[in-house]
Order: sequence, then C-alpha cells, then structure tokens
Amino acid sequence: MANEAEETVRKLASHRGVHGVIIVNGEGIPIKTTLDNHISVQYAGLMSALVDKAKAVVRDLDPSNDLTFLRIRSKKSEVMVAPDKDFILIVVQHPVE
Amino acid sequence: MATMCHARALYLTAPRCQTYLHVCQTFSQFDNKSHLFGKNLIFRVENIFKLTKMAPKKKEAVSKSRGNLVEDEGLDWLKPRALIKPDDQEDVPEADLEEEVGRVLTTINPTWVADEVAYHYGQGKFVAKPKPTFGKAYPLYIFQGTAIRKDSDEAKAQVAAGYGMTSFDDAGPKRAKVKKSSAEEEEEEEPEAEPAATGEEAKAEEDAVAEEEKPAAESGEEPEPTEAPAEQAEGEGTEEAAEEAEPEEKEEEAAADADEEIIEIKPRVKKLANQFNFCERAALTYNFPRRSVETQTIPPARANYGSTALQCIIFDYYQEDFAKKLKEKEEEKPKRLRKKAAKHAKSAQQIHDEQLAQRIREAWAILERLVNQNIYDDIAQDYRYWDDPSDEFREGMGSLLPLWKFQFEPMRNHAVCDLQWNPHYQDLFAVAYGSLDFTNQQKEGCLCLYSIKNPAFPEYAVITDSPIICLDVYKETPYLVCVGLYDGNVCVYNAQLTLESSYQYKSDSVRDKHSNIVWEVRWGARMIDGEASFFSISGDGRVVQWAVMPGELQATTIITLTSNVPPIPGPDGTMVTVNSCGSCICFHPERPEIFMVGTEEGMIHTCSLKYNRNYVRSVQGHHMPVYRIHYNLFNNSIYASCSGDWRVKIWEDGRDEPLFMFELGSPVGDVKWAPYSSTVFAACTADGKVYVYDLNVNKYRPICVQAVVSKKTKKLTRIDFNSRLPVIVAGDTKGTCHVLKLSPNLRVMCKPPKKAQGVDQRTLQIMKLDKLLSLVRDPPFTPGVVDEKFEDD
Repeated sequence: MANEAEETVRKLASHRGVHGVIIVNGEGIPIKTTLDNHISVQYAGLMSALVDKAKAVVRDLDPSNDLTFLRIRSKKSEVMVAPDKDFILIVVQHPVE
Repeated sequence: MATMCHARALYLTAPRCQTYLHVCQTFSQFDNKSHLFGKNLIFRVENIFKLTKMAPKKKEAVSKSRGNLVEDEGLDWLKPRALIKPDDQEDVPEADLEEEVGRVLTTINPTWVADEVAYHYGQGKFVAKPKPTFGKAYPLYIFQGTAIRKDSDEAKAQVAAGYGMTSFDDAGPKRAKVKKSSAEEEEEEEPEAEPAATGEEAKAEEDAVAEEEKPAAESGEEPEPTEAPAEQAEGEGTEEAAEEAEPEEKEEEAAADADEEIIEIKPRVKKLANQFNFCERAALTYNFPRRSVETQTIPPARANYGSTALQCIIFDYYQEDFAKKLKEKEEEKPKRLRKKAAKHAKSAQQIHDEQLAQRIREAWAILERLVNQNIYDDIAQDYRYWDDPSDEFREGMGSLLPLWKFQFEPMRNHAVCDLQWNPHYQDLFAVAYGSLDFTNQQKEGCLCLYSIKNPAFPEYAVITDSPIICLDVYKETPYLVCVGLYDGNVCVYNAQLTLESSYQYKSDSVRDKHSNIVWEVRWGARMIDGEASFFSISGDGRVVQWAVMPGELQATTIITLTSNVPPIPGPDGTMVTVNSCGSCICFHPERPEIFMVGTEEGMIHTCSLKYNRNYVRSVQGHHMPVYRIHYNLFNNSIYASCSGDWRVKIWEDGRDEPLFMFELGSPVGDVKWAPYSSTVFAACTADGKVYVYDLNVNKYRPICVQAVVSKKTKKLTRIDFNSRLPVIVAGDTKGTCHVLKLSPNLRVMCKPPKKAQGVDQRTLQIMKLDKLLSLVRDPPFTPGVVDEKFEDD
C-alpha cells in the first residue's frame, strides 16, 4: 500500500500542469505532500473546513446522499478534492495554456 | 364559675332539656376541677359514650333525690338550694319527664348551612361556602379553655373565694393550712345547716348554668358577661365539689385537726387532678446554643458545550443504531452457526483497511481522471464533437484527426506488437508490447490496458519476462486477456487481479509450450464441458488449443502445418521434416470449427478442427508472410489478408483469385474491416501510413492515406477499429499508440432507398456489399465450395 501510494502520488504529480498533491489524514494534518510545508498546512486546514461544510450541505439536503468530490475552479488554478471520512486528497492544477 | 360547656358541639340531638341538663351537669362536675388546666378538651367518641352511659345513672340519682331527698345520704353533702323556675317554663307532665328518650350520635353537622354564600372579593361575586372539613378527626365536642390570668379580676375573685391557694407556686404550708381549716369549718357547718335544700339548690343551679350556656352556645360567643354572677352564686358549691375530689385527704386532715401546729412542716403541694386522676407534667430540656458550621467544597468543573443537530447527524445515529440492532440479532443466533461464519470473517480492522485502501484507490482514479480532463479538455471536445468541415468539399476523400498518443514510459523502446479494443468497454484497449526487431530482441514485454480517459498512464500494466507478440481479449469476460509470448509460451491475464499476481494461467514451459514465437492467439468457443479455450499459432507450425482448466492450461495440438519442402537431413543424419511457419490465424465468424491460417510462405490454409492432417483448402495468397486475415463483419464469405509483400487482398471463399488487390508500397502490418460499414477497411504500413478504403466509393484507390508517424524512425504495426466510436488506434514500433478520429467521409452510412425505408442499417450494408460483389465477380461465382465439402461427411 505504501509503495502504491508513493507510486500514485508520483504519477499524479507528473501530469502536465499539476502543481501539487496533498494527502490529508482524518484530523486535517497533511501526511504527504509535494508542496511547501506551510502551503500544505494551509491547504489542509482550509480544505478540511470547506469539505465539512460542503458535506453538511449535501447530507442535510438528503441524509442518504454524500459528498464524493469537490472541484474548485479559480482564475489561477483548479483545486480538486476527494473527501472521505478518513482522508482528504487534494490536487492543485494550473490550467494548460 | 366558668363552665364553657359547648353542648352544641357535641352534636347531640337532645330534645329533652332535662337529660341535656344532666349531661351538662356531669361535665361541669369535672370541669370544676380541671378548669385551671386551661385546655381545650376535645372529647373523642369513646369519651362521649362514657358520658352517655353515665348520664342515665345520674338521672336515676336525680329522680331518686326528688322522691326522698332527706333520706338519701349520698346527697347529704349538697347545699340546700332553692329551685328556681323561669316563668315561661313549659309544664311537662311527670310521665313525659320519665320517658326514656333515645339519643343518637350522628355525623351530620347541624350547624352547617347547606347553601351558605359569602362575598368573594377576589372574584367579585358571591360564592358558595365550602363544607368545613376536619380531616380524619371529627370534633364531636370542643371545649374552650378556661385558663384565666392570675391578676385578672376573675382570678382574684376565685382566690378570694378560696380557690387555687394550694396550687404549685405560692402558698406556704401554713397558709394552706389556714385556708383548709376554714374550708373544713365551712364544710362541717353546711351539711348540717341545710341538708334538705341541697337537692333543690343543685337543681336550680344547674338550670341556671344551662340557661346561660344555651344562649351562649347559640350565639357562638364566650359567655363572659354572665359568668361573674353565676360564679358568685355557686362559689361555695363548686368549692364543695373540689373538696369532694379528695375525700381521704379530708378525713386525714380532720383527724389531724387536733394538733395543727405539728402538721405544718409537711410542704404538701396539692395536685390538681380531675376525676380521671389525670395530670400532665412537662420538663424543659436544656437548649444547646445554636452554632453554625460551614464548609465550602471545590466547585464542580464546568464547561460550555454547543452543537448543532443536523438532519444528517440524526440520520447517521439512526443508521448506527440499526446496525447495532442487526448485530445483536446476529449474536442471538446459535453458536454453531456463528462459529462457521466467524471462520471466514476477517477482523474488523482488516475489513476497514481494505475498504480504506479501495476508497483511496477510487479517489486517486477520479482525481487522475479530472487532471487529465483538464489537460486534454480540447481533445476530449474534438473527439466527441468535431468533424472535419472540409470533408463536405472533398467528394470521396476523408482524413484522420489525431487525438491522443498513448505511451508507457518503460516501454519506450518496445514495439506495439498487437492491440485490440475491449469488446465491452468502448474506451479501453489492450496493448501488447514486444519487439519486432529480431536481431536485437528486448528482454521483457508488457501488457497494458489503456483508457482514452487517461492518456498519460495505462490503467493496467504488467511486465512480462518475455516480449508479448499477440493478445486477444475474451468477449465473454472482457477482463481475461490471453497473450502469446516471444518464447513460445501463452498466458492468460486477469485484469481484475492485483498486479502482484501477474498472470493467472501460463503454459508449461517444459511440456507443451511452442518452440517458436507465438504469432497469434484467438479465443475460441467453450469446450463441451464448459471450459474456455483459446488457440495459438506459432512459428513452429503447430496450432494448439488451450483449455483453461482450474489452475492450469491444457494443450491439444490441432494441426501441424506441413510444407512442400522435402525432409532435410539433420546434423546427426536423421531426416527432419520441416513444418511451414504459421503467422496468423482467423476463425470463421459463424462456424467455430473453421479457421484460416496464414503462413510465412504466404499460403492461406482453410482448416477445420475436425481434420488434423489435411487442409480444407489451400491458396497461395501472398509471396511474403501473411500478417493478418480478417473476415468481413457483414459477409462471412469475404475476408481480407495483408502481407509483407506490400499487398492487401480481398478474398471470397472458394475462389482462388482475390476479388481485389491493392498495392500499398510498403509491408502491410495489419488490415481490419470496419465494424460500421461492409465495404470499409483500413490498413497500416511500415512506412507509417494508414490507408482507409471504401470499395463502394473507390474500388482502386484509398479514400484516405495519412502518414501517422515519421517513416524514418517508426513503422506502424497494428491497427484496430473501435466497435462503437468513430476512432481507430494504430500502434508503432516505438511503443506509441495513436488514436485517430475518422472524418465523416470515412464513415459514410447507407441511405435506405425510397422503396424500402424501414430496412435497418445492417441489411443495407449487406445489400451494398452484395451489389458490389456482383459487379466484380468474373468468372461467375459457384457458391458454397466450403459447405459442399462438409456436407459430404
């Protein structure tokens, strides 16, 4: 599993335009990142809060529903978040010119 | 004397005043002695019964006294009294007075007025007064206290009359003695003085008291004003009564009368007792001074807690509870069953870990797809929606639009030896990496599954220890892929399994593998006992059927390809028969027992599984190795072949000469019929070009020739049409797969003629090909050459 994770992160980070990959654990602590430390921590903290909120929105509208994916498109980059109850995967990608 | 005998409180129905009086008198008798107790006596029912029992006795006594008062010695102590009768007293005959009157105790309160109202200031209206209740105690008789202040006039009067002198507090023995003596003197005098009058007097006195009591009782007030005269009147009488309580004492005193002076030493305190000899004592205990002790505990820890109960949280708790209940139900099952289940069950941690790993994998896969979608957004749009607009102006010519290029980094120097779209998933194709440069062969090969959703990396990639030359995806279970290796082995890979367990089946390298390169593998029909099987053709001239048994592959040689070359002597002098080298195999779409084999000498043999020695038919199709034979998807008797002699030929069963022949100017690696049209096929050549032909449009020239790769460095090896999407994939010798989109002119569909509008596309395609064939056939076609041959059996 550990090797598989390494491999996956490496694979994903090698895609064109991918700026960084962050794996956040259930407590909101980044456990693996390809970005700078402080940026990772910032991403992890902010994203966990956003994911919680988004999840609450989805679950509250229909309790049997659940949030599976979050995609934030901004002017400069796109943040893709795969939320789970035990982890959060974050990929930051700059659009291809 | 104050005898506040509230007779009405007795609730006695006493219609006759006489008996009533007797009762009162009885009361007054002991009242006199107990008045100083100052007690409100509430007589309970028993007491009253006592009284009522006593009453008739008394009455007897009274009646007796009336008859012969003088003779009655029991009454001789009474004072002679005058009988006073009120003027308006009713005359009652003697007989009536003698009459026995039954007295009844009742629980009805005669004083209670049923509909009494009172003004309620709170509610501002008259409300009915509730019935007075007394709880469990029923006050049958209420006795008002008779205590009076010592310094009041009344008390002084009593003291003056000789009462209360022998009480607890004052009165030294001497004085008491004096008093007593005087009382004795009085007493001594009295009985002698008016013995006859006592009865009368007593009666009168009783009357008077009764008279007083009645109005007092009715008005409900204390009979204070009238008390004084009555008291005076009977002062002596009551005194007598008091004396009577202690007759023994009296006698004692009388005896000691003679020597008065000696007696005084005895400090006798006269107890006041009633006729029941009841007395009450009280003691005051020491009161401890009050003291308060306080202590303060450490305040309990406090914390503020706040939370929001969202609908989803409530839902989750219910789900949790439901799961728990299910589990409990499960535990209730007999132990035997549970043990059985527990054997197979994994620990909760293991299950959790596996699920977590699976979830992470899925999340990664989605993330990767998203990243790819961002990168290849324009291509994804083109692939779906962009059609070359120039096709409208180029009649009969089309073009190929390059979409994605698939490359697997470790396989950069390998050639794509085979590729095939997945029959089930339209976006997935399998690629076999090997090497076609036989002088410089690669050590290892690779089987990859690519998805057009992820052009950067293969979805599945497994490295093999020998280059892979060919592959085939099983149509029934599209995750099973059989491959033929350069070293002569065949394997079956299961794409569902994890990568660690590389292949699922592999041929035995010692016993039954091919002794040359496996050039093509094809899945066949299931065997009689239901096992899947596939066929392989190899350079060693054998066609082998492999049955996929549990855990192993079972090989059966179907046919050994013979050649016309005479046996040649081997190194040790033995003659060695030379087999012809098979290079490709193709099964008939409808008859699973018929297959065609192409050889390196350019022969095309039609074979049957039923004959393992002879060919059904043999044609010298090409002059160089045949690389591919492919049946038309609409007409089972038409097939195409391609070869290293630069040619592509279209054949019809039973005909020795090809219907069409095309020269492409370079070795043709692959030829494939289009799945959407009966007349379209595509071929790829070693000089990096893709040729697309539509026989319906142009019988002599391709409608599209496009160089996909540079011919200096790369060659195109294989090509395949997607069964549903308008794309083809072509592999080159540098490990790259090119996905190209067919322009609209290359996928022209049949327009139904006006006569037959409702005919479906497939029928139209078959009609189109038949029409075309009828134009080309020369000499006339003799149908069913193959069929006839089999019918002879």
